[in-house]
Amino acid sequence: MTDRLDPLVMRVLDGDLPLEALSPALRAEAEAARRVFGAPDRAPMALSPDFDARVMAAVRARALRRPGAARRAVAWLVAPREVRVVVRPWMAGVLAAAAALVLLFARPETPATGGVAVRFVLHAPEARSVALAGTFNHWDSGATPLVRSEGGLWAATLVLPAGEHEYAFVVDGERWVPDPAAPGVDDGFGRRNSVLTLSDAGRSM
Amino acid sequence: MRHSDVSVRDEPSDGEVVRAVLAGDVDRYEVLVRRYRERYARYAAHLLGSTAAAEDALQDALVQAYERLSQCRDPDNFAGWFFLILRNGCFGERRRLARVGPPLDAVAAAVPAPGDAGAGAERHELRQALFMALQTLTPEQREVFVLRHVEELSYEEIAARTGQTVGALKMRMHRGYDRLRGLLRDHWG
Repeated sequence: MTDRLDPLVMRVLDGDLPLEALSPALRAEAEAARRVFGAPDRAPMALSPDFDARVMAAVRARALRRPGAARRAVAWLVAPREVRVVVRPWMAGVLAAAAALVLLFARPETPATGGVAVRFVLHAPEARSVALAGTFNHWDSGATPLVRSEGGLWAATLVLPAGEHEYAFVVDGERWVPDPAAPGVDDGFGRRNSVLTLSDAGRSM
Repeated sequence: MRHSDVSVRDEPSDGEVVRAVLAGDVDRYEVLVRRYRERYARYAAHLLGSTAAAEDALQDALVQAYERLSQCRDPDNFAGWFFLILRNGCFGERRRLARVGPPLDAVAAAVPAPGDAGAGAERHELRQALFMALQTLTPEQREVFVLRHVEELSYEEIAARTGQTVGALKMRMHRGYDRLRGLLRDHWG
């Protein structure tokens, strides 16, 4: 007996060929393979009795270190009063069909509970719709539509709290486009999110 | 049972729980912990070859998922998103184990098999032998085997979870089959 399975047996194991299509000898081989490869234990694994408690204790400890939801909500509602403009360098040509600018407006002394007005602009003349999705709206691609203006520019202004925000533009409801002018981070699904880090003074860090 | 049909009527969906946690109800996260702990522990145990290592990896992944919950773009697919976090953790742990050696309980083929008592010694022996043989596959081969034969997912479902093509998965699985057959020839006949 060789250690290699016949290609036809492989196809049966893959579900691409019925067992009945095999010769008697290969059929016996396929049945043996199904028996051996089908042997693993599928019962749920028993965990330590205190597993849930340990996980939740770690989660609650981290929750205490986060700014509260209420504070974040207040930050959203507080608009900046005096503006200073910082324009990110625009990396032209990074995306052929779309390019973005993020404009930041804020008082240098904006308090921690205040907000930083951030204008998101995407140049996407061919787009039928553009929205903004990110950590600030729970990645809801319908929550923050951009408004189209002349020249194929789409724009929206948000007041964001200081801290790190990940985001992407959603073009035509299906195409996720990172901001070419912002640093990116892997989103865990093989795509890139853009990252905007705001200080209380409204600076992009 | 697949993650997509775990939600029973009257139970909150994953999306509802995720949104509640993000709104500040931290304790609701325990719903997700209870919902997915055992099935994902089994995946991690087969991948790492150790129940103790699996429990640690699962705990780390659950805490990390909480910390990154606001990055979960599709709260109703929390399970798929969480799987990728756990998967990355398991692959990282495998790389670490490759340097420092296998965990102690791996030698004991530690995945419990409560159904074995009535299944006979022969089946128990085969199950143990298969578990040990799986540890000799590459992590990538072992993962495909576990998702296909333990989680009982189709190649298409595995492709959707891992981002690999069906063709690449099959090729990886076939190499694993050949390797396992060589190691398990005593159980073949």
